[in-house]
Amino acid sequence: MPEHDGLMRVFWPADLPQSDLKGVVVGWRNSALDVFVVAILEEVEPRNVESALKIGTLLRNAPHPVSRIFELCGQSSIHVLGLVNHPETDEIDTSPWIRVRTGSGHGVPSITCARASSIQIILFERPLPGRMQYISLNPIALALGGKQDSSMNDMPESGEDDDEQEDRQKKAEKKQLVEKLKQHSVLKRAPSAKEKALAKIVNQINWAWELEKLLQKNVSRIGTRPKRSLSVSERVVESATTMRDMVLVWLWDLVVFYVFPVMKKIFVLGLMSHRIAAEMLLRILEWRARPRYAALKDISATAQQVEIRLQQFCYWPMQYVTLRLRKNDWESVTISHPDYIRFYNSLWLVANDVIIGIALGSYIIDNAAWVAEEISRLLSTYTVDALQSSISWLMGWPAGLKLNTELAAFLGDLFLWVIEYWSSCIAALRPALPHIVWFIGFSSFAGASMPIALFSDLLSILTIHIYSFYLASARIFHWQLNILLSLFHLFRGKKHNVLRNRIDSCDYDLDQLLVGTILFTLLFFLLPTVVVFYLNFAIARMAIISLKAVFDTMLSCLNHFPLFALMLRVKDPRRLPGGIRFELRDTQDFRLAFKDAPKELPSTSVIYLKSIPLNFKAMFYQYFQMGNRIRKHYLSLRVLLCLLTGKFVPPLNRKNLYSLQYSMLPARRAGVMEMWDAVNSLPAPKRRAAPVYVPVLANGGRYPSNYGGGRSRGYG
Amino acid sequence: MLITSPHLYIRRPSPTTAEFTATTCPPLTLPLRLLLFLILLLRIALVATVLIALHSTWILSPTSTNTTPYGPAPSPPPSPLGQSQPPQHLPHHPHRPLTPWTLLLPSLFLLYLAALLGRIHTTESVLVLRGLGIQTSSSAAGGTRFIPTNKIQDVLINEAFRGFEVRYYLVVVVEGEDDVTVVFPALLPRRRIVEAVWRGVRECLYETGEGKLGNGC
Repeated sequence: MPEHDGLMRVFWPADLPQSDLKGVVVGWRNSALDVFVVAILEEVEPRNVESALKIGTLLRNAPHPVSRIFELCGQSSIHVLGLVNHPETDEIDTSPWIRVRTGSGHGVPSITCARASSIQIILFERPLPGRMQYISLNPIALALGGKQDSSMNDMPESGEDDDEQEDRQKKAEKKQLVEKLKQHSVLKRAPSAKEKALAKIVNQINWAWELEKLLQKNVSRIGTRPKRSLSVSERVVESATTMRDMVLVWLWDLVVFYVFPVMKKIFVLGLMSHRIAAEMLLRILEWRARPRYAALKDISATAQQVEIRLQQFCYWPMQYVTLRLRKNDWESVTISHPDYIRFYNSLWLVANDVIIGIALGSYIIDNAAWVAEEISRLLSTYTVDALQSSISWLMGWPAGLKLNTELAAFLGDLFLWVIEYWSSCIAALRPALPHIVWFIGFSSFAGASMPIALFSDLLSILTIHIYSFYLASARIFHWQLNILLSLFHLFRGKKHNVLRNRIDSCDYDLDQLLVGTILFTLLFFLLPTVVVFYLNFAIARMAIISLKAVFDTMLSCLNHFPLFALMLRVKDPRRLPGGIRFELRDTQDFRLAFKDAPKELPSTSVIYLKSIPLNFKAMFYQYFQMGNRIRKHYLSLRVLLCLLTGKFVPPLNRKNLYSLQYSMLPARRAGVMEMWDAVNSLPAPKRRAAPVYVPVLANGGRYPSNYGGGRSRGYG
Repeated sequence: MLITSPHLYIRRPSPTTAEFTATTCPPLTLPLRLLLFLILLLRIALVATVLIALHSTWILSPTSTNTTPYGPAPSPPPSPLGQSQPPQHLPHHPHRPLTPWTLLLPSLFLLYLAALLGRIHTTESVLVLRGLGIQTSSSAAGGTRFIPTNKIQDVLINEAFRGFEVRYYLVVVVEGEDDVTVVFPALLPRRRIVEAVWRGVRECLYETGEGKLGNGC
């Protein structure tokens, strides 16, 4: 599409060194009036630069393949874009070129171009690739993407995901609205070349630093070459250095080629044996008797914790290999930076976990007797005595509520009897408790998350009687409620038609009506008694669930807190890009700076491009999502309805709850053989190039030809 | 005097770049500047009061490890009965430190007030760069967001009920997103301003040589 608005767009690095010298601007030409400045080469002739760019002299001695630059920046070659500080009177044909006036005094260069009527100068700070800074249009992804959908799909369609279905429905409705909106816009514009170039330009900005360094290194190859040969004393110094370096290189080679491979082999073999053991353990943890049954990791928090650690262990070598391969590429390639953050975040979290765990563990082991005493005291106080006293309170007309004495006595005696039996069980367990606590303390050397998970499991086991009471009373209450409902229908002369799932009217006989009504009255008067018992146990059950939720929250914080990202956000926000933003600068002052400009400058707008650091909300996105899910599951109307009608409140699916946990791990772990291949695919250590001084100048004639070149070939 | 109804500033250094700013801040005259400066002083005073009050409470509280400003409390003389008498300690603290709750709530309220005074004016802007895109920013809600041109499906004015009035607002429809992006989300200025901005955005973003502007409403 031809550009007929005469708008020229110039991307200019704000931190480019500025001087008053003449120079040549080189960079990318994205389209006719859209240029991206990479470097200013000083004191060279434009023609020479052009030919050097064509031959590729300026990209010599690149540490990595040059084609990669062109591939990622989306252009096939670097161009000469214009002239810096050249007098206006030059007779060179400069119609596509820009003329730049710059100087050490003023920040913003003044740019003119014969073809352009208005100019946008977009200044940007170049991100430093060596410090892993970069910019991107989209926020950096701290979690591994594409996981949510797969975990949703392989979940069976149980009644459990009513919320999910509701969500899906809402999404579908919204999609329809969006479709409608699309039809609304009548005029469809074809995007111009400038608009399409934005993604390329982001890459070019990321490459600007490294590319400029490379170009500046090779500037001396253009045009006049230094012709001075070394003096005698310099040669003596140089050969002495060469001798020392030779010895060093020889020693280094010895280490690299004989000692290092052996060590590496041993390490890899150790790693693989651990990997195989981990695979077997994981198989056990994931084993399901039938596809729909729960696996061990779905039931127990400890099993899940072990599984997460093993999965991480399986993933680390793969991550490390990916990161290692980064070294063989240009530093400006930014694809693996999120991987880097993820890898070190998980390493750091595990290290933290172990450190906290050692402190916690040594405390628990030292005070095992006291901790065990305290636990048994808490257990007997809250799970036995409190329950017993509340049941006996319910048996004797609680709060002035006249319950049915006989039924209350029956139910209360039943529960009290079970509690007594259970308390004798706990008393039998009491001598073993210090050992269990000691074991838990010992396990915390594997990380503070282990004892937390173990305590969570211990809590589930030791309060199993409350769980069963809750189940039993809920079942009784539910039955009674159902019977009452159908008897109420009978009372009204109707009945529930199962075949059509509706209420039909029905002619009952007199005796049926009589018996039904009597039964209805009886059950209705017995209902309050059952309700209070049910409520008692439901409340106890809810308290335990919320306690376990606290444990789970602690676990998720220990396992997946974005610690490394937070640290980076404080230390160097440019490593966590969250998008870009532009800032319009006032152009008055910059026009005044060039009073001596012969021609009137075209209308220019100066814009700064800045990187937005990732905001904290995006960092904790996973936590917000998990909180939302928990809220939706437990604080919904449905749960209240379940509680009121005595239906079983299903606990939140662990897999659902821990989508957070798995967002740091790949959906499918790499197999043993894949890991073997990956570990062995690491490139062998390169023979270090002998640090012999290779003169930049090609042989100037006066120089002995076998001096520099010959020796460097010897160990190069 | 401090706040006006939202009005528009336009900065347009070249025909292809424009920034539309809607703000509730009236033009800065000398009295207004003085007033704003006074408010700043008031905020500082508020925060300082809270800090000093909290600090003094902490120093006077028994949990503080510091010695009290009145010097170390002299140990009570051994009474002839052989037991210390608690009422004797009272004169050492003529001003009993406030309990944390009675202090915490007012101090939180004062801090909230100080924060509230900090954001009297709301300023929201939209920056249009031809060939690059639209950037919306808001001092009240949402922060800054840049939308590249090839993602912009349409820019249009819509109307909606809000309470008992009808508001016209400018939206950017972003391709592949479920929600539209509202320009000036917190201020929602009147139709006159919105229309002016809409015309400016269309003119600035798309080449005027293309002729007809689409129907926006």
